[in-house]
Amino acid sequence: MPQLDTSTWFIMILSMIITLFFMFQLKVSKYYFPENPEPKPVSMSNPITPWEKKWTKIYSPLSLPLQ
Amino acid sequence: MNENLFSSFITPTMMGLPIVILITMFPGIMFPSPSRLINNRLISIQQWLVQLTSKQMLSIHNQKGQTWALMLMSLILFIGSTNLLGLLPHSFTPTTQLSLNLGMAIPLWAGTVVTGFRYKMKASLAHFLPQGTPLPLIPMLVIIETISLFIQPMALAIRLTANITAGHLLIHLIGGATLALTSISTITAMMTFIILILLTILEFAVALIQAYVFTLLVSLYLHDNT
Repeated sequence: MPQLDTSTWFIMILSMIITLFFMFQLKVSKYYFPENPEPKPVSMSNPITPWEKKWTKIYSPLSLPLQ
Repeated sequence: MNENLFSSFITPTMMGLPIVILITMFPGIMFPSPSRLINNRLISIQQWLVQLTSKQMLSIHNQKGQTWALMLMSLILFIGSTNLLGLLPHSFTPTTQLSLNLGMAIPLWAGTVVTGFRYKMKASLAHFLPQGTPLPLIPMLVIIETISLFIQPMALAIRLTANITAGHLLIHLIGGATLALTSISTITAMMTFIILILLTILEFAVALIQAYVFTLLVSLYLHDNT
């Protein structure tokens, strides 16, 4: 049986190691399975507008002392 | 007759150059590596099949065992594609070589055993003695379990080699018989041809099944040891 001829065994094992451990694993490692997206929790709060961050004294015309 | 029958299993060398390296690497061409976000149909189909197979095969493993996913998936792709390509006429199937199958089976099996020893030392040693054995039987059973452990890689390699080689030999023999019978009696040749067609269909199934069985057993040995 030619399979039992051990002179070729080294080259067979070497070529198998190259194919299986380098080529195929490089190819399969590049497969990209996208993660499942989840919906972001929707919050109803208004973001604070920049001019409301600092308290500014607002002079309403009706509150001013009479001129 | 012997020389002629086994001539397709000789490792191919062309004028002393080992072209068997190229032949073993050839199935890799059938699996292009994806480089875009949305790939072409061939890569998408292969990726979907790999995802299907990996989900089914890795569902029994825990976190530790699932680190072997890449190895098992490339194993089943390699053996499946090599076996299927070997069904073409005049082709050389690397998995008929005992050397290649031993080279795959022994390191993978040894990897599972060493993993078991490193992470679950007592439990993996406990595999040698099934639960509930009567006391006088214990020494004999330990010997039997050790032998059955060491036979695992041999059985993996020889199973794959023998199945694929036997299938190829049968196709050769029945094809030769069909050819010889056409000049003698056409009806018998037709019957033999139908047998050949059925055998080829069987060989397609065997090619895929052997890949599956090899990978499944490796994953089973892994499951025992993680």
